[in-house]
Amino acid sequence: MGRARQLVFLGWFLALIYGVPAYQSAAEILRGRAPQFLEVFTTTPTRPNLRAFEHRVEDASLVAQAVRPWMQDAWFALFRDAGEKVVTGREDWLFYEPDLRYLVEPGEPGEPFEAIVDFRDQLARQGIRLIVLAIPGKPSVYPDRLTSRVAAGRTIRSSTLDLLAALRHSGIEAPDLFDFFAKLRREPASSPWYLPQDTHWSAEGARRAAAAVARRIRDLGWIGPGPVRYTERPVTVRRTGDIARMIRVAAIERHYPLEEVSCRQVMRQDTGEPYRDAADSPVLVLGDSFLRMYETDEPRAAGFIAHLARELGRPLASVVNDGGASTLVRQELSRRPALLEGKKLVIWEFVERDIRFGTEGWQKVRLPAAP
Amino acid sequence: MVFTTHIFLFYFLPVVLLLYYLLPRHRNAFLTLASYVFYGWWEPWFVVLMMFSTVLDYVCGGIIGAPGASRARRRAALLAAICGDLGLLAFFKYYSFAAENWNRLAAVFGAGSLPLLHVVLPIGISFYTFESMSYTIDVYRGIVKPARNFSDLSCFVSLFPHLVAGPIVRYNVLAEQIAYREHTLEKFTCGIALFILGFAKKILLANPMGSVADAAFSAAAPLPLDAWVGVVAYAFQIYFDFSGYSDMAIGLGRMFGFVIPKNFASPYLAASITDFWRRWHISLSTWLRDYLYVPLGGNRRGLRRTYVNLALVMLLGGLWHGANWTFVAWGGYHGVLLAFERWLGKKTAYEWLPRRAQVAATFVLVLFSWVLFRAASFHQAAAYLGAMFGARPAGDAAALLASEMYTPHRLAVLAACVAACFQPMEVYDWVERLTWQKAVALAPLFLAAAGAMFTQTFNPFLYFQF
Repeated sequence: MGRARQLVFLGWFLALIYGVPAYQSAAEILRGRAPQFLEVFTTTPTRPNLRAFEHRVEDASLVAQAVRPWMQDAWFALFRDAGEKVVTGREDWLFYEPDLRYLVEPGEPGEPFEAIVDFRDQLARQGIRLIVLAIPGKPSVYPDRLTSRVAAGRTIRSSTLDLLAALRHSGIEAPDLFDFFAKLRREPASSPWYLPQDTHWSAEGARRAAAAVARRIRDLGWIGPGPVRYTERPVTVRRTGDIARMIRVAAIERHYPLEEVSCRQVMRQDTGEPYRDAADSPVLVLGDSFLRMYETDEPRAAGFIAHLARELGRPLASVVNDGGASTLVRQELSRRPALLEGKKLVIWEFVERDIRFGTEGWQKVRLPAAP
Repeated sequence: MVFTTHIFLFYFLPVVLLLYYLLPRHRNAFLTLASYVFYGWWEPWFVVLMMFSTVLDYVCGGIIGAPGASRARRRAALLAAICGDLGLLAFFKYYSFAAENWNRLAAVFGAGSLPLLHVVLPIGISFYTFESMSYTIDVYRGIVKPARNFSDLSCFVSLFPHLVAGPIVRYNVLAEQIAYREHTLEKFTCGIALFILGFAKKILLANPMGSVADAAFSAAAPLPLDAWVGVVAYAFQIYFDFSGYSDMAIGLGRMFGFVIPKNFASPYLAASITDFWRRWHISLSTWLRDYLYVPLGGNRRGLRRTYVNLALVMLLGGLWHGANWTFVAWGGYHGVLLAFERWLGKKTAYEWLPRRAQVAATFVLVLFSWVLFRAASFHQAAAYLGAMFGARPAGDAAALLASEMYTPHRLAVLAACVAACFQPMEVYDWVERLTWQKAVALAPLFLAAAGAMFTQTFNPFLYFQF
């Protein structure tokens, strides 16, 4: 290569490695700020400070911010690769990577088991019964939409069932929603029981699960039929799935059209008003975003809680924390003793991936003593 | 600091290059200072440790090389340097491992136990310890003269391009270059090309292959096909990760005028394990040969002793990689295979096969060793090997691994890795005759790799842990 071309090559490389910080610094100066890299001279050189500085520089990089969506868009166009948190399945179905990781990686149910038994024991001392609802993750119910290796219509018997079996062995009521959804999948249905671009169940999936749980409660005779009558009203909502939103690249999001979800909103027959929780209910429902779906989200009063209330004929009390069903919801009970006042039954819902990845793990939480 | 980060590529490197070329004098001292910043970026106190090692070897090298120094004095200084260097390495890298094992034995025999300390492993300590130790040994052997001044030796030990993960450069290779080196446009552009290729290897090949390997190795019970693909992916990950780092190190060295020898020579094209070790991590295998195998007697003391020496060197080579019995077993496995090939007269048991089949057979033997290398424990290694041969029942969820492992992107990268590994041209040789066409091809490659870097989470080099 001749000298002139060598110089061009050199110039191109230098322009690139000097251009990025020069552009960044110029932009920062134009905004009236000192160039961010100068912070390194005022930072005490400790490991945490240096890491934090490095992250700040990376996060603030205008070039990185500009290039990242382009790269992700190109990667998606070339390889259908939607990023590290998203697994692209068949027929445009999207899956949340931790849901999948939970199923394929080994895990010990020790911590959740002990926390659940401890919670049951504390509730029992207050005369409150417990039902544990482990919700199957989407890959457990729709593995065939993830890979062609699984025959159409088959579901996965995940290791969560071992935990449920151990809980039942300890006398804890833990309905098997895995078997329930496996049976549902064998039914002819116009729409799936989980949303193709979301981690959660469909409105109909939530409604059917609520009906199954209510049936179980009635069979156990723990709560008698309530006095309130509810009716249903069909409503359709259009929403972007939470996995599609995780991608955070507008061009990729546009590839996935809004999902149309048929819901049945629960209304009080006497007032015609949409379902509302009642703090003085004998039934308290704890859980995560599976409870939030269609309930406090659009269209409201059409999720698991409303339908369970309709089935039981009484409004329920609820504590919902996105991703926090493993420990945070019980900490809330610990902080607010009134939540347990007058309760006869607690239904504790969590998605199965939280058995391994639940926020704050599975701590034993001391509940306030009965008043 | 990691080469494939924003802070290195767009701040550290431009600043260091600028100041280096602006300085009319004291460039070595400046490089040393920059290298200390580079190293201290991980943990500032690590620098003190490296300086201690450098001072020790500088002083001992000076004593050994002093005119008229007695044999006893020279030997004592050599011993002090080796004990000091290996003592540091032993404490920081192996203390916890030794204490755990000692305590297990002590529990059986009722002996006193060692306290379990939380010892932080200083990054790259295995590399710079071997480098600084080789200086003192070479001075003792009369291969090199003692460093002219402390700045020369500290520049050699700390030189940031090869500091953290090699290649393990010996003092005699760099001594003259530290004293005098040419800075030419050709050398610089060649360095840029090497850096870009190493950068692309790491970001575009090694990291995606790492995701495939991680998925397979972390699975509870993968299907046989997935287990095989997982270990192949790991073989590609470790090769492109480590050789990518070496290419970047050599490339950066050239930008500062240094010529560092190559560390890889298409290792997966080896037709035997003996051949593999001539091609893989060349700087380590030659270091072990010259400073361990040869002093042990090499092949000069009869066949039986040769086998023992080979096995011993590989066991220690395995231990050098990490304080875990799986690494020792990995080294032992290679040692046994090397001894076996020596026993066959430097041949393999599959010598009769066509050359390509020999390469394939060697690759499979190497794959088994990577299972040991990658696994966190013998239990995991045995389980994984069992999965490769279908000896473990795969769970219901095993089929789902396909969705993570065989994405179009990862299959494309796997194909690219196969194409890149099983052709004879190493990038080190490819850039020697850098044409305009090659330079033009490198431009989009670097842009793609830098762009991909912006989208990837932090992903340090595998060899940093060693």
